[in-house]
Amino acid sequence: MISKRNNIESLVASFALVFVTIPATAFAWQDAGGDEKKDESAEKKKEEPDKWFVVKNAEIHTGTGAVLRDAMLVAKNGKIDDIGHDLEIPPDAKVLDAQGMRVYPGLVAISSSGLLGPTTSDFGDTVNPFNSNMILGLATGITTTGSGNAAVKLKRFSIKDLVVREKIFAVFSWSARNPSGKRSLREKFVSAAAYLREFRDWEDKVKKDKELKEPQKKNVDTTVLAVLKGETTAKFNANDRDDLLGIAHLAQEFGFRPVIEGCVEGWTVADELGRAGAMAIVTARDRRPKDEALVRDGGSSIENAAILHRSGVAVAVVSGTESVDLGGIVGRDIMALPIEADFAIRGGLPEDAALASITTTSARILGVQHRVGSLEVGKDCDLIVVDKDLLHYEAFVQWTVVDGKIVYDKQKELYFAHIRPRPDAPAEPKKLDKGETEPKPDADKPKEGPEEGGKKGDGEKKNGDGEKKGGDEEKKGG
Amino acid sequence: MTSKALFVGFASAGIVGVCAFGALSMSAPTAAPVTRSWWDARADSAQDAPTASKAAAAGERTASRGLALFARKAAVVGPEGRDVIDDPVVLVKDGKIEAIGPRATIAIPDGYERVDRGDKWITPGLVDLHCHIAGKSFLVNDINDMVYLTNPELRASSAVEPGNPNLKRAVAGGVTSVLFIPGSGTNMGGQGILLKTGLARFEEMRIRDPGSLKLAQAGNPERWAINPGRSFMNWNTRSTFTRGLTHAKLRKLDPTLARNIQWDAFGPLADHTTQVSTHTQIFQVVLTTLTMVRQGFGLDVYIDHGEWFGSKLAAMANEIGVNAIIGPREIDRFTPGFSIDTDGQIQGIAAQYQKNGHQHIGFNTDSPVVPEEELQVQAATACRYGFDGTRMDALRGLTIVPAQTAGIAARVGSLAPGKDADLLVCDGDPVDPRTTVESVFIEGRIVYDMRTEERRW
Repeated sequence: MISKRNNIESLVASFALVFVTIPATAFAWQDAGGDEKKDESAEKKKEEPDKWFVVKNAEIHTGTGAVLRDAMLVAKNGKIDDIGHDLEIPPDAKVLDAQGMRVYPGLVAISSSGLLGPTTSDFGDTVNPFNSNMILGLATGITTTGSGNAAVKLKRFSIKDLVVREKIFAVFSWSARNPSGKRSLREKFVSAAAYLREFRDWEDKVKKDKELKEPQKKNVDTTVLAVLKGETTAKFNANDRDDLLGIAHLAQEFGFRPVIEGCVEGWTVADELGRAGAMAIVTARDRRPKDEALVRDGGSSIENAAILHRSGVAVAVVSGTESVDLGGIVGRDIMALPIEADFAIRGGLPEDAALASITTTSARILGVQHRVGSLEVGKDCDLIVVDKDLLHYEAFVQWTVVDGKIVYDKQKELYFAHIRPRPDAPAEPKKLDKGETEPKPDADKPKEGPEEGGKKGDGEKKNGDGEKKGGDEEKKGG
Repeated sequence: MTSKALFVGFASAGIVGVCAFGALSMSAPTAAPVTRSWWDARADSAQDAPTASKAAAAGERTASRGLALFARKAAVVGPEGRDVIDDPVVLVKDGKIEAIGPRATIAIPDGYERVDRGDKWITPGLVDLHCHIAGKSFLVNDINDMVYLTNPELRASSAVEPGNPNLKRAVAGGVTSVLFIPGSGTNMGGQGILLKTGLARFEEMRIRDPGSLKLAQAGNPERWAINPGRSFMNWNTRSTFTRGLTHAKLRKLDPTLARNIQWDAFGPLADHTTQVSTHTQIFQVVLTTLTMVRQGFGLDVYIDHGEWFGSKLAAMANEIGVNAIIGPREIDRFTPGFSIDTDGQIQGIAAQYQKNGHQHIGFNTDSPVVPEEELQVQAATACRYGFDGTRMDALRGLTIVPAQTAGIAARVGSLAPGKDADLLVCDGDPVDPRTTVESVFIEGRIVYDMRTEERRW
């Protein structure tokens, strides 16, 4: 009996343990997504040694216009610590020798589907960090993607700190086909703007007269109000010239910067969109014939991105289809994101703007430019090492780094290793290391990426066995 | 978003080929033109006589003075298209290339207009051997009649609509010659026609009619009325070839024998003045193409719409003279029923054909599945996924290889004296998607110039 009771007790205890630990860890993941826990994680890091990651011998395209040849990038705990020449390599740093390669910021896809697994929300719970589409996304060079209404990182092997920003857009409709919708939206803007004026006025006066009543928020659309306060970005899906003009005028009247997805006829009203400070999400693969009944310009144009750019519209380029599509027609799915930028160049967009259209500008549109999109000190160490000009059609991403960790190595993955294999020379890094002060020459091997990935991050250790099993399954499945 | 949805529609149409559209109007075969049937005109063209007179007519239309075109580089030069010339000059006269060579070696005759295009490239116009957009395409069912399982008597030429918007964009993309063919809803969709995309009248556009007999061995015709399987389709196709070629042979022996227009296409096929363009993919299906059409009937045939693991037969196809035109899919990955022998690697199809020993590889679009003006992306994608394009093989695969494959290399496909002056002036290698095609000449006439008109693509 005693032993039995003991058994039961221990069973209960273990159950309790399970029930306690699971929610605890779950909360831990969720909290980790927010910014509030920064202090705590900083404390933890104090206990642990700093993690250093270095890319050396690279031609670094920072995405800000600067190109540093034969340069180094040093990252500390996943953030870029320094970029320059002849920097000191910290002891215990992971060193990636990118001799003959180019380094670019990780690409920021405005939207994608499937890269994170079958999910568009609740990322902490539903992202599959082992799914093959994520690997192919990383192989394309994508390190951050818009998904649903959030910007999420492709953190392979880990589900910690995935979400960079949530609730990015407030999506509105503005269409000539729905005049009453236009009218009601305008009314919402009018009343919200009126309220905001009263509120600001009150804010000013209440300092003197503390008994002054706060203006009533009755009948004020909170979403529109958030747009006017600059708390969220207004996004429209519009292609027709009339609609684009309407949006531009609305934006100018009420003083907000709209994001316009589609924007097929944007080139015909580019100046107005530029004046309104619009940001456009376009693809050069749109085919829309001009309405023959119209005298004016219309329909799609290969020059759309270029004309919008010249008029001051921030242009981000997206692929024709959002998902990884290997069964269909290649050159059009999310894996062709740089090719999409190529078509914008074909239409006259300068090459630097084309690079920005899939890095800095798309980060700006998603509102995550403070973290990703370019290589600058203090930003996340999300970068790709490419064997040639990223915008060349033969360029292959050789390594993808997210938060200072190599999460993709072309030669270590099944998909593209056989295509123009990288001439890895293990002897070379050692030779190059001679002049440098490194206690562990072995740590310098560029091949170490996946092993590092195999070790997995902090979150991984916490998450326990279940996830590791998932990983094994995925490997078998692949 | 609509364009995306439209594309999804096209993409799925690509998977089932064009038959999905054809199925909608199976019971409504298109009516033939009532007045002077175009096939009377075809009878003229079959004798190859109009070529010279056509060129003369073109000469009359253009200024009689010649053109000397200078640039930075000329690529795909020579009858075989293997040369590159730095600082070239191209002399154009009467719609033909009169001479081409380095500036120093060519004397410019008096009275020639001199045009210096600076640091631009001059290349031949691109050639696409799998195109469905010279008519109304899928808006009306003009090229995918699925009345019988084999329809060798149907003619794509009856659907040609000169200067339609798709053709206009094709020109702006640098595609100057296309094989406009029926869809693959049945095993034999009918006769294709080789066309110049940028000319205004049907008679001017026509390079050769029939440009090919369109054969679709498998992959789409299974969807035909009774859902036939491969063995029945093969028997039926073999039977049609046998009857058609027998008729052609008998008519040759006895010219008084009544003409049966159902077998019209088999005369030129037996004479090797036209080819069989085969929508063929998957190992067994390509094997059937090689053994039945090439070895069995001894016809000129090429792999068109080449996809999936037909590449395992690349060496054999190369040996027996069956060229491989690849597209619209350019990559292959394990797909049950279509491809085997891959553990998940992403294989470039053209790369596999090349690796397995094929030396004559071209690219096609299957437009509108891939827009005609994006033909060069097919080559770029092939290169991305392992096709070795370093010796201009990518650009050759868009020009001289398809021209040779369709038997029109005497007129198009490379920059050589005597060929049609179908030229592109580009700001770089046309294979690169970033490159802009600035001017397009067809038979010496400017049919598109980005600098003077609104850009179409």
